[in-house]
Amino acid sequence: MITKKTSITKFQLFFFLIQSQVGIGLLSLPNVVQATAKGDGWISTILAGLIVQIMLIIYWLLFKQFPNENYTKITIRIFGKYIGKLLNFIIYLYFILTGSLALILYINCISLWLLPLTPIWVLSLFIILSSIYLAFSELTIIARFFVIATFMLVLLILLSFLTYGLEKEFQNILPIGHSGMKNILMGSNKSIISMLGFEGALLVYPFIINKEKGVLKSVSLANLTVTALYTYFLFLCLISFSPMQLKQVREPVLYLFKALSYEMLDRIDLIFISSWIVPMTTSIIAYLFFASKSISKEKSYKKTVLVNAIIIYLISIYPFDENMISKFSTYVTYLSYFVVFILPILLLVLTLFIKTLKRSENA
Amino acid sequence: MKKFFLIYLCVILIFLSGCWDQSLLVNKTLINGVSFDITDKNELLGSARILNIESKGGGQFELKDELIETKSKYSSEVGPEINFKMPGKIDVSKAHIILIGEELGKQGIHPFLEIFYRPKDAYVTARVVMTKGSASDILSVNPQKSPIAFEILKALKSSESLTNIPKETVFSTWSQVVDSREDLLLPFVEKVENDRVSIGGVYLFHKDKYTGYSIPKEKSTLLLLLTNGIQKEGLVALNLKRNRSTALRVMDEKRKMDLVIDKSNRKIKCKINLELDVNLVSYSNNLEEKTNVNSLNKDISTLLTKEAKELTNILLEANCDALGIGRKLASSHPDIWKKLDWEKDYKNVQFETKVKVNITKTGTVF
Repeated sequence: MITKKTSITKFQLFFFLIQSQVGIGLLSLPNVVQATAKGDGWISTILAGLIVQIMLIIYWLLFKQFPNENYTKITIRIFGKYIGKLLNFIIYLYFILTGSLALILYINCISLWLLPLTPIWVLSLFIILSSIYLAFSELTIIARFFVIATFMLVLLILLSFLTYGLEKEFQNILPIGHSGMKNILMGSNKSIISMLGFEGALLVYPFIINKEKGVLKSVSLANLTVTALYTYFLFLCLISFSPMQLKQVREPVLYLFKALSYEMLDRIDLIFISSWIVPMTTSIIAYLFFASKSISKEKSYKKTVLVNAIIIYLISIYPFDENMISKFSTYVTYLSYFVVFILPILLLVLTLFIKTLKRSENA
Repeated sequence: MKKFFLIYLCVILIFLSGCWDQSLLVNKTLINGVSFDITDKNELLGSARILNIESKGGGQFELKDELIETKSKYSSEVGPEINFKMPGKIDVSKAHIILIGEELGKQGIHPFLEIFYRPKDAYVTARVVMTKGSASDILSVNPQKSPIAFEILKALKSSESLTNIPKETVFSTWSQVVDSREDLLLPFVEKVENDRVSIGGVYLFHKDKYTGYSIPKEKSTLLLLLTNGIQKEGLVALNLKRNRSTALRVMDEKRKMDLVIDKSNRKIKCKINLELDVNLVSYSNNLEEKTNVNSLNKDISTLLTKEAKELTNILLEANCDALGIGRKLASSHPDIWKKLDWEKDYKNVQFETKVKVNITKTGTVF
């Protein structure tokens, strides 16, 4: 049953997607992309945005066939009970692991920049407690919070204008296209990972009010906003750091703010990261919500959230070292290829195939 | 439900007190300036200026500026060594200036930058300054009014705004040191009579090493203008022919840098056209003569063009690519850049510099 309480408007959908996409990934993105795409990193993010857009269109086509079902129900309808459930478990696993990975990176970042002596379990506990609090509520309330939290993003974009005081070097991105198509595509691959979160559309689609028209427009606008935001920050880092420096800095977007200094105000990076906590937490909340929605039934939802939160918490407090995190991240990436890209395409193809089959039977 | 909520809130409040990462001012010693040197015995001499805050009671504090010196073998050892000698935990988050001695500069400054850009508390907007002679000599000067670090910082800031010296922080220095396509210019200070510290000019660097070539402060403004580095304004004083002298305030600059490359023998010609909009600050001409702006424009332009030529010659001699020709080459002619060995080929660059001065204002008199 979809009541008014659980439904969201298209306006809220826009912000919901932005908030689940934007998070920890952006901070280190320029460094990650620099490894392959170099000065052409900004092309990589635009390409990544294009790929995401194609996927959003595929999702939209899929939901035209099943307007009132979500991702996990469609898998069962197409593949039957057993294979469907297996697939749903993989989907669930993906959401849990991505949520955990985001939380691990988030905690690492906070403890690196802000609170080095605070134990990991405490940091993680704070984040997960506040996430549970919001994920308990209905989708409408989560979406409302995400709308408000977006003002934080606007504030941070305004804060980024301060970095124009730093020396800029536009020659760093010239000549355009010098790193070659292969490297640019590899950079895109990396960018897509930090843009993940758009797959949330697969789970919230049935809850949208008046979804007959305009849904594609709001998801596309959300994607456009996120792509623009990522490209903007990437571009800013490319022209502010020298290429070798960008390769060395772990979180270039933050470091950029560290290099600013005013008479009255210093260490703007600390202000930035303290505010960035909000968009990072919203991603965790979104993943907790997705994971719970993907397996729970209506009644046991709250319990599922609690169990999932505990699982994510336990994964996040495991003392990972950097190698393990990067391995973890690779596995999640592979899983995301399947859940976010391959499976929806497969579902769409099968649905259309079954439909034509039925039509030819009737005729 | 309400009870559960209250308990929840109380638990959160306990946790929110932030007890792990507090660092009290009482337990800290604030460093406001650091210097690095190398001694004759190949030891590193690190000095730090420490601001001691002593309570005199009744809410009054006394500030004491102390000097601490340590000797160590490696760059990473300097920090801990200073910490051992100090009553509290050292805090470099407000170390405003980093002085590096001339001799140490010749061996490379990168290890000393690294101490300041890696840690989380590091202050990457600290100024990096070279010193003529030993750096700890300069840091040990005791001015009457305020701590020496602040005195130097003040002097740097005013010279920066007049484009006398480049504004180089740890961040910008690091950026240029790791970039093989351009070289660094760093300001230097020297000790003058009466135990005072004064801005000396600019040291030329290649990679992270001081080349041994320097430009005195009288000429450094023109060099910075050539690198397109005008800050607020530029102040140039010139001695013209026929017993005339003038001081100019450069308000704006337009630099055009073109590279002409002969593909057959890979000869690179660098054409620089510098246009300066200047205001006359002073012009002492012969008594009867009236100020002729056009001829004055010409005279100053010729003189500055000649000086620019001398400057580019020194840059080539020092193998210091301060104008960023390498970067320009890499971005506009990537195929040629890949074939070049910039270490050697930079010396073969031919400069064609032209300075054109345009006096826009002559002040309140003609």
